[in-house]
Amino acid sequence: MSPSADAAAPASTSGPPLAPLIAAQLSYLLSHSKLPIKVEQIWSGCRNGRYSDRFTLSIPLCLDYVHWDFLYNALAPKVAPDVVFGPDDEGFQPLVDYAEAGSGDKSCLAGWDYRDPRGLLALVHELRELYVEYHKKQVAKVDDARVTFELSTVLSKEGIEVCMVPSADRPEEVKFSVPLLDVDFDFAKLVPGCPWKLPQKIHLQVIFPISRSSSYSSVPSAPRLKLISTPDLKSLFSVEDEKLPPWSNGMCLAEYLPALEESLNLRVVEASASIGARRRFIEALAPTFGRPIEADPIFCREATVLSISGIFTFLVHFAIPLQFPRQQPALTLQSSQHLNANGTPIMSLPINDYPWSPRWDQAEMVERIYDFLTDECQNFKKFCSDTITQQK
Amino acid sequence: MDAAPPVAAPPRYSLPPVRRPEEDILFCVDVDLEALTEMKPAASASGPSSGSASTGSPQQPAGAGAGGAARPALRRLDAVKQALLLFVHGKRKICPGHRFAFASLGETVSMVRHRPCHDPFISRLPLVGFRVKKDFSSDPGSAMEAVHSLAASGSRYETADLTPLFKIAYQEGKRAESQGRLLRVILIYCRSSTKPHHQWPVKPKNFTLDIFYLHDKPTADNCPQKVYDALVDALEHVSQYEGYILETSQGLARVIFREMCILLSHPMQRCIQDDLDIPKQVAKKTLATEAAQNEDGTPVSSQQ
Repeated sequence: MSPSADAAAPASTSGPPLAPLIAAQLSYLLSHSKLPIKVEQIWSGCRNGRYSDRFTLSIPLCLDYVHWDFLYNALAPKVAPDVVFGPDDEGFQPLVDYAEAGSGDKSCLAGWDYRDPRGLLALVHELRELYVEYHKKQVAKVDDARVTFELSTVLSKEGIEVCMVPSADRPEEVKFSVPLLDVDFDFAKLVPGCPWKLPQKIHLQVIFPISRSSSYSSVPSAPRLKLISTPDLKSLFSVEDEKLPPWSNGMCLAEYLPALEESLNLRVVEASASIGARRRFIEALAPTFGRPIEADPIFCREATVLSISGIFTFLVHFAIPLQFPRQQPALTLQSSQHLNANGTPIMSLPINDYPWSPRWDQAEMVERIYDFLTDECQNFKKFCSDTITQQK
Repeated sequence: MDAAPPVAAPPRYSLPPVRRPEEDILFCVDVDLEALTEMKPAASASGPSSGSASTGSPQQPAGAGAGGAARPALRRLDAVKQALLLFVHGKRKICPGHRFAFASLGETVSMVRHRPCHDPFISRLPLVGFRVKKDFSSDPGSAMEAVHSLAASGSRYETADLTPLFKIAYQEGKRAESQGRLLRVILIYCRSSTKPHHQWPVKPKNFTLDIFYLHDKPTADNCPQKVYDALVDALEHVSQYEGYILETSQGLARVIFREMCILLSHPMQRCIQDDLDIPKQVAKKTLATEAAQNEDGTPVSSQQ
């Protein structure tokens, strides 16, 4: 069974509990949607209502969030909720769109069953898809030949989202959110024992400035580019540390993306191999440092050993970076015998400037760290005694 | 005489990608009169020392027989309390998600209750989540308050009934399991003549039990060995994963701190107690044993 941590807790809720049928729909949405939807507020439509029946959801879109209000009515439980979109969405009319399309498709609101807990999830997903299409149409109307061209070449890529970036103090821009790597690429497969509940993705955020001249005579300026990953992925791979390939003059996305994806693929494979290297390093600690007290068995980022020098017992915490073995582990020592002024055991600062080479084998890395610590723990012991003396 | 069969080497340490659940650790601290036994003063300045009185315990005298102002000796319970805080901070450094609760053992067990915590969201979604027992907390301030509130009454208790402890642990064990967490009980026992007892039936084992036994050296008037054996029986009766039973009669605070650090180990990543090899010396080989012998005259072995 999974812990309840996945049910997002809202920032502020004051007021009565949600009406049971509404609560059932919200629970179902939060536990079954693959999107990281958050509940912002819950409140009652009545001043002294017995139940709350309204809430705001933050729904991910184009690497940002939109906030929509869902208004049920606890006094009329059979009625489907109203939805209030954001202030800039006057033009988004999903029910009108269905009518105009004339294809006979209907919103899920048409067959609303108030007893079905899946109702809200179906509604949110439907509205979100329509909203994504709405934004694509908005961007298609922009009078910028480069943007129009880019849109036409990438629209076929599954999962692309686009939107306008409104700005008071800057010319308007258009944002593309481009999912990278195969649509079926499953990062969780790279991590044995992976605990992630939601699918992980890396997106390229591309922001094009809009220049309203429709001539090709001036070379359009390079867009702003940024790699953005879903939060859990950070424990495997840090997009912040990735250097993007350069965007040369006159390039377009269709040319840029393949090189980026190839390089990203390599880096992701390296990141996965690094887990194995970190695991073997932790295992190699045991013969020299004794069996670790505790270690992170999935991402292998941390391990702690219990050591003694003479009669001075101390813990050594290893923090192993994502780019191990290129980057060395940081060591933090913690005394078992000295408390500082607020009653916590004295700890060293993290140490990562000891001799290191990524070319050493695991056993040598461990030996070298051991040799370093034979001196360093004496320094630490003195540091602890000095700290105590200064506090008196 | 036949040669003894060769002892098999302990299995090599490995770290398979098996989920490591966060722990809920319930400390049960003996508050019998024997918890007030005085500890040995430290032989040197490298003994345990605390920077201020904020831990609520008297400071360790820095030098034995120095002839200076008399300071109150450290008592077992004081050293245990410092060790508990050391444990909490050490465990939190390893993983901030581990949580702690505290109870005392007189004749029977009573929990130290935290102030109630109100989580409005959990209570507004009756169909999602579950009732979270708020006795376990990862907040160090909360742990400090709980530890400080532990006090020995100064009575000698006739019995030590562990049954309520196992009952609480079993219930919390079920709750922890439903939350993907692991329950552990650490019993700190101080009586040299009173065997603990229990009437816990055979039940599914859903918590691990560690025991730390602080006792006097054996004399004609006590029976620490019998008490130890009873503790071992209790541990084997209830413990889900390998529980450790550590003991000391040395009366040295630094030994208590050292042994508590061994108990930091996560139950699902442990070896059997016979194979324990920590703490290991980190020292240039020739100097290590010399240094150890000079400081207090007793040879240091990692399992002392």
